Amino acid sequence: MTGTVLAALAAQAAPLLACALILIFLRGRPRVAAGTAIAALTVSFAAAAFLVWQVAVPNTAAVSQTLWLPVQGGAGLAFGVILDPLAVTMALVVAAITLAVMVYSTGYMRGDPGFARYFGFLALFGWAMLGLVLASNLLQLLVFWELVGLASFLLIGFWFEREAPAAAARKAFLMTRVGDVGFLLGVLLLIRALGVATIPDVLAAATSPAPGFTVPLVAFLLLMGVVGKSAQGPLFTWLPDAMEGPTPVSALLHSATMVAAGVFLVARLHPLFAAAPGVMQGLLWLALVTALASATMAMVANDIKRVLAYSSISQLSYMLMALAAGSVAAGFFHLTTHAGFKALLFLSSGIFIHHAHSNDMREIAGHEPLSQKAGVIGLVAGSLALAGVIPFAGYFSKEMVLGAMGEKVGGVVLALAYLGAGLTAYYTFRMVFLTLRGQTPRRPVARDIAPAAHAAGHEEHFPKAAEAAMAWPVLALAALTLVLGYLGGFFATRLSPALPHEGPFHVGGGALVALALVAAGIALAWYEFGRAGALRLGFAERVPALKSFFGDNWYLDRLYKATVIRWTLALSRAAKWNDHTVLDGASDGVAQGTVWGGRILSMVQNGFVQAYVAVAISVVAALGIWLTRTGGLP
Amino acid sequence: MSPALYLGFATLLFGVGLYGLLQRRSLVAMLISLELMLAAVSVNVVALTSLTGHDASMGQVVALILVGVAAAETAIGLSLFVAIHRASHSIDVETLSELKG
Repeated sequence: MTGTVLAALAAQAAPLLACALILIFLRGRPRVAAGTAIAALTVSFAAAAFLVWQVAVPNTAAVSQTLWLPVQGGAGLAFGVILDPLAVTMALVVAAITLAVMVYSTGYMRGDPGFARYFGFLALFGWAMLGLVLASNLLQLLVFWELVGLASFLLIGFWFEREAPAAAARKAFLMTRVGDVGFLLGVLLLIRALGVATIPDVLAAATSPAPGFTVPLVAFLLLMGVVGKSAQGPLFTWLPDAMEGPTPVSALLHSATMVAAGVFLVARLHPLFAAAPGVMQGLLWLALVTALASATMAMVANDIKRVLAYSSISQLSYMLMALAAGSVAAGFFHLTTHAGFKALLFLSSGIFIHHAHSNDMREIAGHEPLSQKAGVIGLVAGSLALAGVIPFAGYFSKEMVLGAMGEKVGGVVLALAYLGAGLTAYYTFRMVFLTLRGQTPRRPVARDIAPAAHAAGHEEHFPKAAEAAMAWPVLALAALTLVLGYLGGFFATRLSPALPHEGPFHVGGGALVALALVAAGIALAWYEFGRAGALRLGFAERVPALKSFFGDNWYLDRLYKATVIRWTLALSRAAKWNDHTVLDGASDGVAQGTVWGGRILSMVQNGFVQAYVAVAISVVAALGIWLTRTGGLP
Repeated sequence: MSPALYLGFATLLFGVGLYGLLQRRSLVAMLISLELMLAAVSVNVVALTSLTGHDASMGQVVALILVGVAAAETAIGLSLFVAIHRASHSIDVETLSELKG
């Protein structure tokens, strides 16, 4: 076993071990639990960094797996690791963000009664996500895919004693499940048709299709899972609700890593998807519509976490658009930078939320100014990166995405993608100005959103140690937003199909257009929210119809309530009636019949010997008469 | 002698016994009625063996055995009644209904 394989196994084993230790032994010892989880993720982080150095830098690819369950004439069940630049880079991203979020959480979740459980779940997520990323085999990937969903469910519903998080957790689980059904079918179909499950073998076989194997169908089914997990198209409404979970969880799972699993899957199996151009065209349009739709929703949301959630959906759409346009490097580069700056944005918004005890940006603004500078720095740096301002990370990756799209698709799609970039800048800076420039005369704010999801019983005034625990990860990530952007060349040369890369500061015509749109978006945000005496009301919010349409997820939730949910409930009620009335009635009837039959028969045994004698004699007499009449023959 | 006479007598005897068995509530009376029914059977056996042309002594032997068996049965029955009487101070069948369902 080589050192790289050993490192890959260690990266997965450490969080699993920590999770088991915490959930079994350390439930009552929060500090030890947090220490264990952080130590485990440090091991994973070191292992992932080693892997990047050993695998991604020299650009090698290898698969190492053992057959666990041989199947006669089939693929069998193998478990192992895949070590190529895509997998190990993603592993490093996951380990780094998880580690940062864990350190931050020691401050944010301080004093929560479920502190140890929280770290146990985070470790569970770390294991599942690293397992997903490094899986060498489609079945193995499926297992970890579902485990990641479980971790998401557990962490969204972390404050399960309140109604909203519990409902959000259920919604997230069920909506992603809709997509996962397709994913499962796709994987099974693929394995049955090709007879192999190891990812490189699958990709090799997919490009030279076997008889009875329809690539478009499989690609479509797999994309269903992607759409559910990465909150795209019709299945995205679970993600805004998932913000009911603790803020660090939103940073880790619901923007940086878990929701990117769908994007990662498309990158992982890209040759397979590329063999179905029609499906990819559909994905391109779906992602484009999702990107614009979620941008409009972010324009009217007042909950800072929901703004960030919508922007996550929008950015995931950009990644998928790049992949659909054929560029793995652009999509994955955007995934990496987005993981950094979106985690940063969530973590710094957590500092504000903790300070103001509210998610509402107007209330945060009305609250006394934050003494802690890390939050402000993080929010501004993250927003600049998200909006795509040069030289922050988001600029470079978005340029690469738009550039890749410009080469392959062009036309209306490209124009709309540029428009989306402008909208991104607008809603991002609407958030910044609403949050930071709110020292205008305080007026009572209508509470139309729930008060901040807060750790029960946390202390009013933070100890310095907790503040530092929250500040350092934010500052580290803020520094990263300035660094990550220069890694474009690294991705472009290591992920197939290779892209020509002109260096980070190549400014083409597209980049100028994008920068102009971004500047326009920021200027509009400044005019409406930032300048002194601004109305602090966006153009979309002034039209009541638009405000309610955008603010209500384009009425998709209402549509689901009126259709799918209603039908399901009706079906459930019918099933309940059938169960209670028909099935229970039948078994009750059998029981009652038996009881009554027993009562009637027990009357025969009345305790009078003479009655028995009379019956016996009568029977014998009847038998005798019958025998004499028929001669014993029937 | 007509066989019908013997058979009719046996039937009468059996009927009387049956009536007594079903009608009387005392265990002793029921046992006596049972003996009457057994006697009817003996009469039938003796009559039928001698009247159908078989060896008549065969039926008589069976009748004698039946008398012996009846005596033994009566002895067992009476001792049971004594035991029952000791236990429940009654030999009335209507009160002996503990095995009722």
